[in-house]
Amino acid sequence: MTGRDLERALADLGAHLEHPATPPIAEAVAARLADAPVGSPGAGKAAGAGEAARAGRGRRGSARPFPRPRWQRLALAGLAVVVLAAAVLAASPATREAAARLLGLRGVRIVIGAPGPTGTTGTGSELYLGEPATLAEARQRVRFPVVVPTEPGFERPDAVYVDPGVPADGRVDLVYRPRPGLPAAPGTGVGLLVTQFRASVDEGFLKKMQFGGGGLEVVTVNGQPGYWFATEHGFSYLDRNGNEVPETSRLAGSTLLWERGDLTLRLEGQVSREEALRIAGSVR
Amino acid sequence: MEGRPLDTEDDRLVERARQGDVHAYGALVQRYQDLAYRTAYLVTGAAADAEDAAQEGFVKAYYALARFRAGAPFRPWLLAIVANEARNRRRSARRQGDLAVRVAEDRPSGDAAPSPEVAALAGERRRTLLAAVNRLPAADREMLACRYFLELSEAEAAATLGCRRGTVKSRTSRALTRLRAVLAEQGDGHTLSVTIEGGGE
Repeated sequence: MTGRDLERALADLGAHLEHPATPPIAEAVAARLADAPVGSPGAGKAAGAGEAARAGRGRRGSARPFPRPRWQRLALAGLAVVVLAAAVLAASPATREAAARLLGLRGVRIVIGAPGPTGTTGTGSELYLGEPATLAEARQRVRFPVVVPTEPGFERPDAVYVDPGVPADGRVDLVYRPRPGLPAAPGTGVGLLVTQFRASVDEGFLKKMQFGGGGLEVVTVNGQPGYWFATEHGFSYLDRNGNEVPETSRLAGSTLLWERGDLTLRLEGQVSREEALRIAGSVR
Repeated sequence: MEGRPLDTEDDRLVERARQGDVHAYGALVQRYQDLAYRTAYLVTGAAADAEDAAQEGFVKAYYALARFRAGAPFRPWLLAIVANEARNRRRSARRQGDLAVRVAEDRPSGDAAPSPEVAALAGERRRTLLAAVNRLPAADREMLACRYFLELSEAEAAATLGCRRGTVKSRTSRALTRLRAVLAEQGDGHTLSVTIEGGGE
């Protein structure tokens, strides 16, 4: 059968798919927003942030009011919005690269401010990972050379996940189980997570890391720039229109973010700064 | 499912919601809840997860609105957030639920009113094709769902899946190739094409 036939068959199939009736989503969303702080969505977002994240995931259909803001968080919220406004202004392709590198790495923007409801949730089931794969499979499915720590004890990840399509060149997650000296991140069964992707800024995959300020340190890994975050943070990325797409983040805990060649790597877990730097430095 | 609403209406509602008008946002949720839920369902294949993902997506989108660039299309941005949520839940579940064909479609209906035999045959062929779609890797199924089930444009599919338009083209073509291979393996490639002619569409 021709390609056109198959496409027609799929369109026909789409018109005949079984779909459960849409549940009362609007009501549930309204109930959750009803208790949101007065003011703009932006103020509410940053303000409700940490608490909402720590409160964990609510259940379907139930009203989950966002906690009232704390005044000290409002100050941080204002700062976050200002920094983001600058990010959006700078989002024309010509200036994006330069702007992204003011604070951050290739494909990653760092914003000081409280993480939003998009922030850390810290449960194992919330880990945003790709499809399980072997290291060899992962190497075949992404368009960059996959690297692995050579630090003793970390040469063999306990699990590997690959997302071949997001960002465009793909992403690989190396997962290490907790063990003595490598405690599980709070609420997860994971000891350490090492993520790598090749970000090209004009593809609109600008990761943003938000964190509550403080605990950020500029470091160097094998002569390339990096950042050490001692506190929890949230994630999102900018789409091609320059809009922020919130993404559930992976692990609560400390994070080391660094570049190796044109790869961006992130190491997350309950490890000390020294250990994180040692593992990062051993990546080949 | 909603048709493509006028962008100006979206713009107006988005602008009001950005000012803190929860009712305007409610109107946006009303407008897109079917599409959001359908998108989430196509990704997860599970009703409960889809509801969760759609609801969470709308809440996250609301809190991200302050930073939404005026005039940018709301729909693909929302779908990207919902699809992200749905993907997270699919991954937690470790598998995606199988999609199914509506049973009612086996019975003759609509203008064409095919004979019961033809209708039954069409239903059978759709199930065959869907069985093959269900066997595809999650990323392939997602791409085909965006393009053929949700009928998103290449640009919208790109925004929804967070990739370039060129990537939508190449991934769609790869998914179709793999789908053809699965069909061939099932030995149904030939009979399927008969279906469409008999489908009375």
